[in-house]
Amino acid sequence: MNNTASMRIRARHFLQAVAMAMCLASASPHVRAHHSFAAEFDVNRPVEFSGKVVKVELINPHSWIHLEVTTKSGGKEVWKVEGGSPNVLFRRGITKNSIPLGSELQVEGFQARDGGNRCVGRTIKFADGRALFFDSTPIPDTPAAASE
Amino acid sequence: MSMQSASTRVALATALLLAIGAGSSGAADKYKVPRTSWGDPVIQGFYNNNTDVPFERARELGDKAFYTEQEYAASKQPRPQPPPQRAGGSGGVPNAADVHYDTGEFGLDPDQSEMVKSLATSIITQPANGRLPPLTREAQQRSDAARAAGQARQYDSAQDRPLAERCVLWPHEGPPLRPVGYNSHVQITQSPGYVVFETEMIHDARIIPITDQRPDFGGLTRWQGNSWGHWQGDTLVIETTGINEASTPRGSNVGMGPDAKVVEKITRTGPKTILYEFSVTDPGLWDVSWGGQFPMELTEGPMFEYACHEGNYGIANTLRGAREEEKTKARQGQ
Repeated sequence: MNNTASMRIRARHFLQAVAMAMCLASASPHVRAHHSFAAEFDVNRPVEFSGKVVKVELINPHSWIHLEVTTKSGGKEVWKVEGGSPNVLFRRGITKNSIPLGSELQVEGFQARDGGNRCVGRTIKFADGRALFFDSTPIPDTPAAASE
Repeated sequence: MSMQSASTRVALATALLLAIGAGSSGAADKYKVPRTSWGDPVIQGFYNNNTDVPFERARELGDKAFYTEQEYAASKQPRPQPPPQRAGGSGGVPNAADVHYDTGEFGLDPDQSEMVKSLATSIITQPANGRLPPLTREAQQRSDAARAAGQARQYDSAQDRPLAERCVLWPHEGPPLRPVGYNSHVQITQSPGYVVFETEMIHDARIIPITDQRPDFGGLTRWQGNSWGHWQGDTLVIETTGINEASTPRGSNVGMGPDAKVVEKITRTGPKTILYEFSVTDPGLWDVSWGGQFPMELTEGPMFEYACHEGNYGIANTLRGAREEEKTKARQGQ
């Protein structure tokens, strides 16, 4: 994936995907969310793109990161990428300043069902491959610091 | 170390952990609970209840309420990783499980936050099999009918979406409270005559009057019902009735009825721990009462604001998606 003209939108295996989605929806381990992402985003609209951060909303129930993307025709468009609740990030000292405006991010996800420039960010990484926040690994326990 | 002494140490350690897990040990009994300036036991603070103990016990464990340390270690499964196939780039067939952000990337998997360790095999301890009792036949029929009706209109309007999606109430908030998996914090605040019980997610605060008799709530109804509390020694006992019927308990698609009651008990068991116990009774849904318990540990504040309504773009986007699907079906003549 390069930094420009990088948006690709694919629709494939339509019938198989729908059938598998129906079978697997209830078995997904990734169901700890505020709402059904499969209702908001289209499994048949996978997207991959990179872009520059223009706005960061670390808000509940879900974070949104706004990216300016250069299209194949050279135009610019802003995509909104939905992620997780930020409260754990705050607890770990991460704020919106941890993603400076202008940062180049790579996103893989699924586009909104209505075709709008929104997607769920199935993976969101910096251009050099670093994890955006955590690398999906367990975080060692920290001792409870509170006292009476 | 001889085999005998090793075995003895393991047995002693196991017994201690079992006692901590049960919250009813000599150690807990000996702990002298500090008092507020007005004389009540101190239970206030910021608490964490993040746990890997399942709400219901695995059927194959029967009545086994606690693991040994070795069994606990063996019971741990590797944390689910994101589906291996890329969303569309490596030839994998995407499915509904893919349509989600990586929870681990945002630190939302339970083992990415402080964990309150317990050897319990389930949150539910009553009945003895650690599982929710079945609904009565009549309640099951009502639940099935409600589910079918709800599914038929689930995308018709915002009011037809689940309470959690509407930022009204998450099911884990209760009462009874259940560990939720992330943002698992509770703040308890005490003042003379009142205790406030607030969950981080979804920001609801129950203001609980402390009194010897059930107060007159004046017909006021709340999503989480009307709660009042009284002290039994060092234990705060909270009784709640009148829970809104739109707030459905786990395992049911219909709410609790007018005869339902939830009793919660909060006991400070050590300098940094409290035990939360609960029991649920509703003859309209179950033939028997059920309940359980879990420990909570003091943690660092503050409890961050959740402010669910402010950023709830998801509900509008979900309804947009439904309208789009309707248009597609209409075009296809379905």
